[in-house]
Amino acid sequence: MYIVNASTDAVADSAAKEAHFDIEVLFRAHYARVARTIARVVRDHARSEELAVDVFLKLWRNHKAQQENAEAWLYRVAVNAGLDELRRQNRREHYERMLTWIRPRSVAATPEDIHSQSQRQDKVRSVLSAIEPRQAQFLLLRSQDFSYQEVASILELNPASVGTLLSRAQESFRKEYIKRYGHQ
Amino acid sequence: MDTNNLVPEGRWVQQHLAMLDPNDEWHPDVSASLRKFRELQGQRSWLNRRWMFAATTAAVACLCLLTLPSPKVLAHRCIECTVAVWHSLAPSTSVQANLKPPAERTLAPDFNLKDANGADFKLSGLKNKVVLVNFWATWCEGCQEEIPWLIEFQKMYGRQGFVVVGISMDDDGWKSVRPWLKEKKVNYPIIIGNRKLADQYKLVGMPLTALVDRQGRIADLRPGLVDRAGVQQKIKTLLEEPMDIAHDASVGVPFIAPQK
Repeated sequence: MYIVNASTDAVADSAAKEAHFDIEVLFRAHYARVARTIARVVRDHARSEELAVDVFLKLWRNHKAQQENAEAWLYRVAVNAGLDELRRQNRREHYERMLTWIRPRSVAATPEDIHSQSQRQDKVRSVLSAIEPRQAQFLLLRSQDFSYQEVASILELNPASVGTLLSRAQESFRKEYIKRYGHQ
Repeated sequence: MDTNNLVPEGRWVQQHLAMLDPNDEWHPDVSASLRKFRELQGQRSWLNRRWMFAATTAAVACLCLLTLPSPKVLAHRCIECTVAVWHSLAPSTSVQANLKPPAERTLAPDFNLKDANGADFKLSGLKNKVVLVNFWATWCEGCQEEIPWLIEFQKMYGRQGFVVVGISMDDDGWKSVRPWLKEKKVNYPIIIGNRKLADQYKLVGMPLTALVDRQGRIADLRPGLVDRAGVQQKIKTLLEEPMDIAHDASVGVPFIAPQK
C-alpha cells in the first residue's frame, strides 16, 4: 500500500511534494480506490464514480489540502462524501415510503429480493447512516484494509486512542443493528 | 490486517461490514473519469475562487439595493446632509460675501408649480419683487433652523415688495409637507419642487437660498445655512435697488411710448 504514511518520508518530502504536486498523477494512482471506498456505501456505481471525481475536484481547488497529506485528505473526504450520499438516499426513500400511502408500489418485493445480498447490504448501510458519522467513517475505513495507523492519519486521530475508539464504534454499530433488525 | 485479536463483537461487525465490498467484476473506469475531471476543471476554474464568488454576490446585492427606491433616497439624503454640514462649517466670510453686481446677474430659472391650495405659482408672476427662493425639506435640520428667520424677514419686508418662496424637496411631497404646514405657521408660499428645478438651481445639498432681484435675476445663490445678518443686509440692498419700471404692469406705471 503506497498511501497515507504519516511518519517517515512523507513529512520530510512535503516541501518537494508541494513543488511537484500533480493532480493527474494522484488521480491515476488513487481514483479506483477512492471510487471503491465510496461504492461501499453508495449503491449506484455510476454515482460513486461521479462522487469520486468530485472529491478530486475538491482537492484540486483546496490548496491547503494539497500542501498537507493529500492522500489522507482524499480518503477522508471520500468516506464523508459516501456517507452524505447515503443519508440523502435514505431521506429520499423515507419520503417515497410516505408517498406509498397515496401511490402504492406497482411491483411487490419477492422473497428472493428480501433475502438477497443487496438487502443485507442495505441494512448495514442504514445502520451506518444512523450511528455517529465519526464512528461510521472509522468502521468503513477499518473494514477496507486500512491499518490502524492509516485510519488515525486519515481521520487525524491520536494513534494511541484508535483501539478504544474502534471498540466503541463497533459497539454502537452492533447495538443499532440489533435494535433495528434483531439478531440476524 | 490482524484479525486474530478481534473480540467476537468486533468479528461480527467486521463480517457485516465486509458485505459492503463491491463485487470484483466492477472496475472504476479511470481514463473516462479523468477525461470528465479535466472537463470539469476547465468549466469551474474561474468559479472556484471563493473571493470571486463572494465579490460577485456582494456586487449584485449592492446593485439590487441601489435599484430599490428607499436606499436610493437614503443615499441622496446622506449626501445632502453631508454637503449641508460642510457648508455650515465653511468660514462665514464666504457667506457674507457681497451680492453679484447687476451686470453679472443671470435670469433666475422660472417655474410653474402648484401651491398648497392647488393654484399655479410662477416665479415670473412676482414681477418687481425681491424674491428669496429657499429649497428645504421637512427632514432637513438646517432648514428648520433658518425657516423662523425667513418668516421674520417676510414680516419685516413683505410690504416693501419682498417675498419668500419655500420649495420643498420632500420625496413624498404634500404628504409630508401638509402636516408640517399645519404645525408651523408659515407666512409665505410653499410649493413642491422637482428634480429638474433642483438641477436648474444647482441644488446639491439643502438648504439652498437664492436671492432674486426685482428684475428676476439671481443676485445671490448660496448653499447651506444662511448667515442671518448677512442675508438681511442683502435683502435690504436689493429692496433699495431701482424697480424695473418698463415691466411693472402691476403698479400701473404707464408704458412709455417711443417719441415721434
